[in-house]
Amino acid sequence: MFRRLFSNSLSQVKTRRMTTTQAPTASFSRKWRGAALAYLLVAPPLLLMVLLIFIPALQSIARTLTISVDGVPGFSLSRYTAFFSDPISVNNLIFTFQVTLLTLAAIFVVCFPLALYLRFSSGRIASIVQILALFPLFVPGIILCYALIRFLGTRGTLDTVLSLIGITGYRTPYLKPDAIIIGLVWEAIPFTVLVLTAGLRQVSDSLIESARDVGADDWTIFRRIILPLIARPALIAFSLNFLGIFGSYTIPYLLGPAAPQMMGVFMQQTFGQYRRPDEAETQAVITFIICAFIGFLYVRTVARQRITHEKDE
Amino acid sequence: MTTAAIPPNFWTSTRRSFAATIRRDGFGLLAMIVLILVILGPLYSVVLWAFAERWQYPSLIPTQFGLRYWGETFSRADILRALPFSIVLALVVTLLSAVICLPAAYAFARMKFRGRQLLLLSFLATNAFPRFGLYVSIAVIFFRLNLIGTVQGVILIQLVNTLLLMIWIPTAAFQAVDRSLEEAALDVGASPLRVFIQITLPMVMPALSAALLLTFVNTFYEAQGALIVGLPRVVTMPVLMYSLINSQLVVQYGAVVSFVLWMPSLLLLLVANRLLRGGYLTAGFGV
Repeated sequence: MFRRLFSNSLSQVKTRRMTTTQAPTASFSRKWRGAALAYLLVAPPLLLMVLLIFIPALQSIARTLTISVDGVPGFSLSRYTAFFSDPISVNNLIFTFQVTLLTLAAIFVVCFPLALYLRFSSGRIASIVQILALFPLFVPGIILCYALIRFLGTRGTLDTVLSLIGITGYRTPYLKPDAIIIGLVWEAIPFTVLVLTAGLRQVSDSLIESARDVGADDWTIFRRIILPLIARPALIAFSLNFLGIFGSYTIPYLLGPAAPQMMGVFMQQTFGQYRRPDEAETQAVITFIICAFIGFLYVRTVARQRITHEKDE
Repeated sequence: MTTAAIPPNFWTSTRRSFAATIRRDGFGLLAMIVLILVILGPLYSVVLWAFAERWQYPSLIPTQFGLRYWGETFSRADILRALPFSIVLALVVTLLSAVICLPAAYAFARMKFRGRQLLLLSFLATNAFPRFGLYVSIAVIFFRLNLIGTVQGVILIQLVNTLLLMIWIPTAAFQAVDRSLEEAALDVGASPLRVFIQITLPMVMPALSAALLLTFVNTFYEAQGALIVGLPRVVTMPVLMYSLINSQLVVQYGAVVSFVLWMPSLLLLLVANRLLRGGYLTAGFGV
């Protein structure tokens, strides 16, 4: 009984295949129907993204550029002039820039040597280093903040250890900009190391050996072979970290000073505490504009990476 | 005959081999020591605080261990309400995300249509904005739609976060399935549904479970979207943590909650090796 059912469907499959190859018109309509089904399947997530990312962002941009006088909307930059004439707002923006750039520099200073080390060494120490470097992936941001307060704070673990070995006068970075940078670097280590190490794995050992055979020194190998190959992963790590830091909230809110604030904290205060959605929106759009180029860089780099990969396969 | 006694040059050779390790892998050794202090140090404090009844400065370990604060923490009404709610919320968001995204992922992997690559890449937009600015932008719309302080609003803002991961990982998995196996099964007469269930599904299952697990954990810890859209009426566990941290009347409350909240992440840690080898950990960033 079952066997006959299967053989039936088998013959159906075969005849279906034959008709598709033999009748171009039928295949055209099938193809069209297939595409329609595909669009139907990809529509829900796309719709959600359009409704919750593109439309809010575009609407915010449009609204911050218009002002309605007697019910008639017109173009105006007044919201932006208001932002840039307020010293607190400008200070917060500059502070966000400073923290972002310093954190990025620190991330690369920490992660680049780690990634190089992990790529070119093996053994027990290297695998322990790898586990430790990836460990922050498994510590959620909010728990990290609590942990860092207990670790770095006055009379925290670090303070205790230092006083036990005779170093007194510990000044905590908690509630200072330094604590924000420490927290953000801590959080960024695993992702950055993963991406950079993955990039370095594209550099084959044989390539390096043959370069060495023709007399290249370490510096030449680094500059001529490793650097070009790691440019793309480094760009991805740079742009994603930039966006992540610029748009961060939890770490600067819980670890940083009350003033100046990073833009995320500033926006939440404007929206949630002061209940001024219009001003919060202007602040948000200003972060969009600043990050637009970096966001574009990120999308373009990932897109190129994928297209090269597909060509390779 | 071998002697069991310590050879006379044991200590010199040990010292020499230690020196050799430093010479050979000095950077590794240094990196390991620094990372142990910097990565594990903060966590050491939290874990011990959760089991401390008293911890007087300057002692390296609690002056008195005990579980008294566990009972106190879990008799707080806000925590008792937020914890089950957060778990259910994360489950609902993960399920909805799967229902919305998995068919799309199948289409991206298997069907040919115009703009496929472009549409797939468009999901990177979820990462290409400064996150909190985007949340404010969404919140302003929700404010006008009266979605602030509603569960629906929180679900929607958390769903956005899941899209990239839930589409990219399964798409890659469906693409990686060996088509000849499916065709062979079709040729011997299996129905398309049966082929899907018995051949395709088992092959993509590791990737699908990775995507589901990562989505669940990420959603469970998502605090910023829930904070800006959910307050004042919807309070998830991570949002509650903000106030526990800010009003540090009792250090142990925060420590106990951190410890409990950490459990889902430890789940990830157990399968970390598999996640890493599958490249799923970086897939969420579109890499």
